[in-house]
Amino acid sequence: MNKTALAIVTLGLVVFMGVIFMGGSGSGSVQNVEIKNGIQYIKIDAKGGYSPKVSTAKAGIPTKLIVATNGTFDCSASLVIHSVNFQKILPQTGETEIDIGIPKAGEPFSGVCGMGMYGFKINFEN
Amino acid sequence: MKKYKFHVSGTHCASCKILIEDILGEQDFVKNPQVDLKKEIVEIETESEKNADELAEILTSKIKQNGYTLSVEKVILEKKDDVIWTAVPIGLVFLALFFLLQKSGFLNLGIGGQTTPQASFIIGLIASVSSCLAIVGGLVLSLSAKIEQDDKENTKKPFILFHLGRLLSFGILGGVLGLIGEAVGINFVFSSILGIIASTVMILLGLNLVGVFKKSTLTLPSHLFSFFRKVEHATWAPLFVGIGTFFLPCGFTQSMQVAALSSGTFTSGFLIMLAFALGTLPMLALLSFGSASFAHSKHAPLFFKVAGVVVIGLGIFALLAGLAGLGIINPLFNI
Repeated sequence: MNKTALAIVTLGLVVFMGVIFMGGSGSGSVQNVEIKNGIQYIKIDAKGGYSPKVSTAKAGIPTKLIVATNGTFDCSASLVIHSVNFQKILPQTGETEIDIGIPKAGEPFSGVCGMGMYGFKINFEN
Repeated sequence: MKKYKFHVSGTHCASCKILIEDILGEQDFVKNPQVDLKKEIVEIETESEKNADELAEILTSKIKQNGYTLSVEKVILEKKDDVIWTAVPIGLVFLALFFLLQKSGFLNLGIGGQTTPQASFIIGLIASVSSCLAIVGGLVLSLSAKIEQDDKENTKKPFILFHLGRLLSFGILGGVLGLIGEAVGINFVFSSILGIIASTVMILLGLNLVGVFKKSTLTLPSHLFSFFRKVEHATWAPLFVGIGTFFLPCGFTQSMQVAALSSGTFTSGFLIMLAFALGTLPMLALLSFGSASFAHSKHAPLFFKVAGVVVIGLGIFALLAGLAGLGIINPLFNI
């Protein structure tokens, strides 16, 4: 094989990898925010990543995050949220409630798995 | 008296010159051996009737055990340039397939219920092809390829020690976790930093395998280099690397550690972690022993470069992930 062909193959592969990495799995907006008795609950599923990856919730009310695992053994079970100093390995199956206080508008909140491969983000709006 | 000029390969340090000159000087038919490290040339004078090819072969047999080869023509360098052109796309194909597998979600199949040793064996099997492989597998691949590249003789001992260390430490530390229960937690920051160190080592070894450092190794202080060689060749080193993998960041490992923690007894924790490590063994053994057999085939130069490309890719992935895990950068990937 000559070098030009190999260079083209290489370039193609690099682009392909870029698509793998950057391609979002376009999961549309899911109804995962619920306000009950003045407390806002945001539910995130943790299994092979976090879903939904981006959520939108209201700012200015006490907010709790519910992270649900279901037979989760991968990285997403080891959750780290730097802004509230939370780090824990979640139970393999179950729901974990995390109090994140009263979020301010325009300050996005994010969590990441212990190895840093998966993450999720919550935007707060007024 | 005739003068011969040979091309030498395998010279990586300043002391190589002295070593080669010493060994060649010991041969009674060789006079005045001179090594030029910069040009990678060895010159000798001899009264032997043999032709250059035969001489190169005889002399190579004397210095082969130290990792040097003499040749009449400068074949290796030209060939190497071609090999890298083939190695990069092949390495990228492996990386692409690996990340595609992660993206597919195929590995996220849930295993419900109690964590029995049988279940943890299956989880180990899954973990060994998951993104955990990025760090543990990458480390195994880079170390095995490096050992094979340095030691020309066929030795399996370092790999057996590594796997033994891994199995034993998982079993015993798992048992300890079961015994002490909830008292300890595995520190995320600690394992992230360990992961970053491991991925840096991987990237460096990968660059080394690809051959980027070929020239610059000459400038590395020789005492520092000999220290690394000592560590690399010390018999206990692979054992400790194997033990160290217990602490490397891997979601599956951490989940298993928690399962061991909550299992309550030494025996149950021991069995859970041992079964998990056994589950990861087939893939990791394939990586280490597979690279050993490739390294002794005629495809060896290509194999080392492909391994280098794969290891660099995995190393960068693990490094970025580790930094994201520490909150230094945002998670880059949507895998």
